Amino acid sequence: MLFFSYFKELVGKEVTVELKNDLAIRGTLHSVDQYLNIKLENTRVVEQDKYPHMLSVKNCFIRGSVVRYVLLPPDGVDVDILHDATRREARGG
Amino acid sequence: MGLTAITEREGEPRLDTENGEETRHVQPKTAIVLGNRTPEQLGTLYITTKRLIWLSDVDKQKGYAVDFLSISLHAVSRDPDAYQLPCIYAQIETVESDGYGDELEDQNSTNGENLDLSQVTEIRLVPSDPNTLDDIFKVLCTCAELNPEPDGELEGEGDWIFSSEDMMNANLGAVNGMSVQHGVGDWDYEEDELVNHIGHSNGLDHSLHENILELQIDDARFEDALEPEDEVQRSRT
Repeated sequence: MLFFSYFKELVGKEVTVELKNDLAIRGTLHSVDQYLNIKLENTRVVEQDKYPHMLSVKNCFIRGSVVRYVLLPPDGVDVDILHDATRREARGG
Repeated sequence: MGLTAITEREGEPRLDTENGEETRHVQPKTAIVLGNRTPEQLGTLYITTKRLIWLSDVDKQKGYAVDFLSISLHAVSRDPDAYQLPCIYAQIETVESDGYGDELEDQNSTNGENLDLSQVTEIRLVPSDPNTLDDIFKVLCTCAELNPEPDGELEGEGDWIFSSEDMMNANLGAVNGMSVQHGVGDWDYEEDELVNHIGHSNGLDHSLHENILELQIDDARFEDALEPEDEVQRSRT
């Protein structure tokens, strides 16, 4: 559940979601659920040449299981807290 | 997996009621567009707790269905550059397009009748009344959330089994790694893979990709990344 809690902190920030099919979508994180389904707002596709039809959809729901990476804004990450939380989670605590 | 044809109906689509499938939304007068083909004649969209179903109003033997498990993403598309009419856009995960599907690019340009439905990777739903798009989007979100990935089907990556002892060892490694100075940038783990790219660009001002922190959210992959650490710990003992 670590990443669920963690991503919830990032709501309202700009993130880029890279899917396992290589599509990368940038947008404002609207919400995330326990399955790491991600809702983005005001999205745009990073490589528009490759995916012209995906051009700026307003709201977008991305299935958690197709997400490969979430690229985070640097100022949205407190490395120390994340580090601690990761270790706690690994310990099963 | 993927889009399938529905050729039988009893007025409404036949639902898998034994497994609790229920209709959550019905949207009449909705066209469906498969890939880049021309829109089909009007039909009715049914959103159930398990599937998205479209049945033609004209041809009673024509219809399509796709499981929520196969819908990678869905979105409201209102940009006329993306599609001339406001619509719901959905991407469908097909077996072959799972990853590197470049060789399948042609499929969408096919305008012949014998389209392989299982290879359709995109659909658009165009309701006659565009004001309904937001409602349809919301129902799709709700129903997608009802269909999480079945356990143990994470692309064969769920094979890494960690005993609690392994986890403890991995932890010790992480703690040892903490002796590095902070704020220098990268965390100087002996096994960098342990944390993958988390925090790898502190204070550096490079391209977007370097400037943004990457975080893997797939648990199975995360465990995968721990594996080298695990091996090292074993060889030390």
